[in-house]
Amino acid sequence: MDQDFTKKGWNKRDKVILVAAIGVSLAILPHLMPNNYWLRIYTMTGLFVMLALGLNVVAGFAGLLDLAYVAFFGIGGYSYAFLSSNHFNIHLPFLLVLPLSAFLTMGFGFALGATSLRLKGDYLAIVTLAFAQIFKLLLLNLDRPVNITGGVNGIYNLDSINFFGLRVESPVAYSYIIWFFAIVVILGSFRIKKSRLGRGWEAIREDELAAETMGVNTTWMKLLAFAAGAFIAGASGTLFASFQESVFPNNFDFPQLVIIYCMVILGGLGNIVGVVLGAILLSILPEFLREYGAYRMMSYGLILIVLMALRPQGILGEIGLFTKGKTRPDKDGTGVLRASTDLYYSEREQIGQLGTPQYSMTDRPILELENVTMNFGGLTAVNDLSFTLHEKEILSIIGPNGAGKTTLFNLISGIYPPNSGKVFFKGADIAGLKPHQVVEAGIARTFQNLRLFNNMSVLDNAKVSQFPRTKSGPISILFHFPRHKKEEMETEKIAKDMLSLFGTRLTGYRFDQKALFLSYANRRRLEIARALSTSAKLLMLDEPSAGMNPQETIEITNFIKKLRDLYGYTIIVIEHKLNVVKTISDRVIVLDYGSKIAEGGYEEVANNKQVIEAYLGRKRN
Amino acid sequence: MEIYLQQLPQQLVNGLTLGGVYALIAIGYTMVYGILSMLNFAHGEVYMIGGFAGWWVLYLLSRGNVPIVNASLVISLMLIIAMAITGLLGMTIERFAYRPLRKAPRMNLLLSALGVSIFLQNMVLTYQGAKARFFHVSSLIPESIRVFHIGSVVLSFMRILVIVVAFLLMALLTIMIKKTKVGKAMRATAQDTEAATFMGIDVDRIIVLVFLIGSALGGAAGALVGLLFTQVDYYVGFQVGLKGFTAAVLGGIGNIFGAMIGGILLGLVESLATTFFPATYKDVVAFVILIIVLIFRPWGLMGEKIPEKV
Repeated sequence: MDQDFTKKGWNKRDKVILVAAIGVSLAILPHLMPNNYWLRIYTMTGLFVMLALGLNVVAGFAGLLDLAYVAFFGIGGYSYAFLSSNHFNIHLPFLLVLPLSAFLTMGFGFALGATSLRLKGDYLAIVTLAFAQIFKLLLLNLDRPVNITGGVNGIYNLDSINFFGLRVESPVAYSYIIWFFAIVVILGSFRIKKSRLGRGWEAIREDELAAETMGVNTTWMKLLAFAAGAFIAGASGTLFASFQESVFPNNFDFPQLVIIYCMVILGGLGNIVGVVLGAILLSILPEFLREYGAYRMMSYGLILIVLMALRPQGILGEIGLFTKGKTRPDKDGTGVLRASTDLYYSEREQIGQLGTPQYSMTDRPILELENVTMNFGGLTAVNDLSFTLHEKEILSIIGPNGAGKTTLFNLISGIYPPNSGKVFFKGADIAGLKPHQVVEAGIARTFQNLRLFNNMSVLDNAKVSQFPRTKSGPISILFHFPRHKKEEMETEKIAKDMLSLFGTRLTGYRFDQKALFLSYANRRRLEIARALSTSAKLLMLDEPSAGMNPQETIEITNFIKKLRDLYGYTIIVIEHKLNVVKTISDRVIVLDYGSKIAEGGYEEVANNKQVIEAYLGRKRN
Repeated sequence: MEIYLQQLPQQLVNGLTLGGVYALIAIGYTMVYGILSMLNFAHGEVYMIGGFAGWWVLYLLSRGNVPIVNASLVISLMLIIAMAITGLLGMTIERFAYRPLRKAPRMNLLLSALGVSIFLQNMVLTYQGAKARFFHVSSLIPESIRVFHIGSVVLSFMRILVIVVAFLLMALLTIMIKKTKVGKAMRATAQDTEAATFMGIDVDRIIVLVFLIGSALGGAAGALVGLLFTQVDYYVGFQVGLKGFTAAVLGGIGNIFGAMIGGILLGLVESLATTFFPATYKDVVAFVILIIVLIFRPWGLMGEKIPEKV
């Protein structure tokens, strides 16, 4: 019903015109350059576009502050110097060295990622900076006792590019070669960004823990980001070395890194078009300000400070310059204004479609906890807890604040490994698995204090959590293999289906809205839809009705029942609103100070003396 | 081996001097981190500017490389003015580059700090040039007390001065933090900024004060190193800054006394390393230590691991 009006972007004719325009300008531009000096700047601009987009993968998509990036550029450069020059008297052909050095650099990227994976933010930045410094010190000092790097003097007289014996020497030809690779990187960036990998990275950038609990293998993805960035930097380094026909330690030093960062930030972290423009702008602009050359690096510092203070999202930012006509946000595809509380009607339609309820209580346990204990220092948050959950059962966990309810969820979902005890899911012990493995096994959760990927669209939020189901790798994505296309279509369909479960609240124009702009209740709904989009059949909902008004609470209560009755989910829910608990629970477990103090039907538990004491305190004798 | 043992006392003295300097720098990092949980990338440049300030004082008070006033007055003025200038600089940085970003994502703050670092470094490059400035200190100290020989150990007056001043400043800071009302407010703010606000502490003022003190100590370190190694250039802040951060991490970042111990430890390790490695690789040793500590014990050598709250 809402296929057409949410479609945005370019139609086929626009695309053809755009491709033709870019192709023609790339063919003509080198010939328009007034002299070799400007031709060189034009070529270097292409190189910087590549470099900036490589950094954009690490810092923009995945949000990792990688300050060793320039060292990867250097590794690529020196690889070419070692393998195609008189320095070691090795003269491998360019077409062999390029992939060789790109993959070698990628290996270094993996290694750096693997050693610094556990670090975040500042610490990651400083460790990568230390790596870059070590690299530079090695470049400067490895000319003695054996001359490897050439020290300060670098290595010169490198071979020029050589295609099967055909030497490329004209500057114009060089500009074609480098811009060809720049275009390849631009196209690749677009494809990766719109894939499961791009979404996975963005999710990590937004909220690493939430990404992990939605099934994204964050460890692997961060490694991949480092490796991908290094791959592009390595290839750029090789191109640069062959273009300059020499390499010096200064080419790969901190100021270069800052320039590349400025390009990425000016364009907006993660914004591909912006980053390309940023790279072009900062390659050309300084040439017009040559007389103020001394102030150039100073101005890069100022650019960073001012942008961060005033416009951290970059020059393009949220201006929808390259996203075409969105419909007015208060209308859906039919053009009719609709109130957002027409859930009731759509619900009736859906029930009609889905047929009769499948629910029947079975005795098969799906989740079993055996003597699970979790200590934080001296505090025992969960104490020797055991319980069983049956398939298609709704179990409520209640208890006063600090009773250990959320810790229990964190234990089951793998955020903490329990200090002792076992967690069986479908017969297999899942205690100690990582969160993304738990999701893959079939348990999904929501968070009490909402951990959506705020700067991603509603639809992408629901797509991220299908990460474990989909398997396309970088190659499949870059070349648009059929498997990737099929997976993308499935992903889109599942995400839309799950979002449609809430009537029109999360559909239509809202697909493309950032999660940030949703109302509070809709954010809670999106959290649930996101969890539903994983293939998990066991849901753990942490206070799904918190902050909702009475009307919304009734809706969500019915919705939870519907999830079980109609779709066969098994549900554990933490709730404070006792009328919700009363309505939905098959069974209730009461926690206090990490221990189970009561278990049974709602009425039974509600009249338990210990429970009343835990909530209200003891009567004075 | 014997030759190493012979060198050991000398290296310990050298290490202690260097360590005192690192400790002063590390305090600046750790104080800021303790309160704002941010890595003040620009701190290394503050140290460098402290060095330049010291050089200018010495230069202006000398004629033909000979001081025109009393030498102890020259040295005191170098320290005081370097500290005053860097203290003000620290406050300015906080006001314009960090305060607008206090609620922004951490990455933005870090990038802004990176920007400040680049800006300051290149500002000095632009206005002071790329050539190193030499401190003509030889005429400051009478020849009779310039160098002492204790056994095989050579001890210069400047080394003693650096050690004494560094430890004196650290002692003053310790007293201030432990004994005064402002010190108590600082500790409270470091522990919980919000709670400190509720208790009536003007957190903004504390943060400004932290930048003032931290930067002034960094500036003092810059001037001291100028006196000791007799030169400064626009690029020294980068590597020394990284080492100061290493020291802060060694001692457990956020922990002021840890920073002092971490600084001295790093100084000693680096000095000892020069007996085993070529001198050009002593920086590599420091950075390898930084990487190893951050990866395996990011909470420092002495600190305790605190599990991340979800």
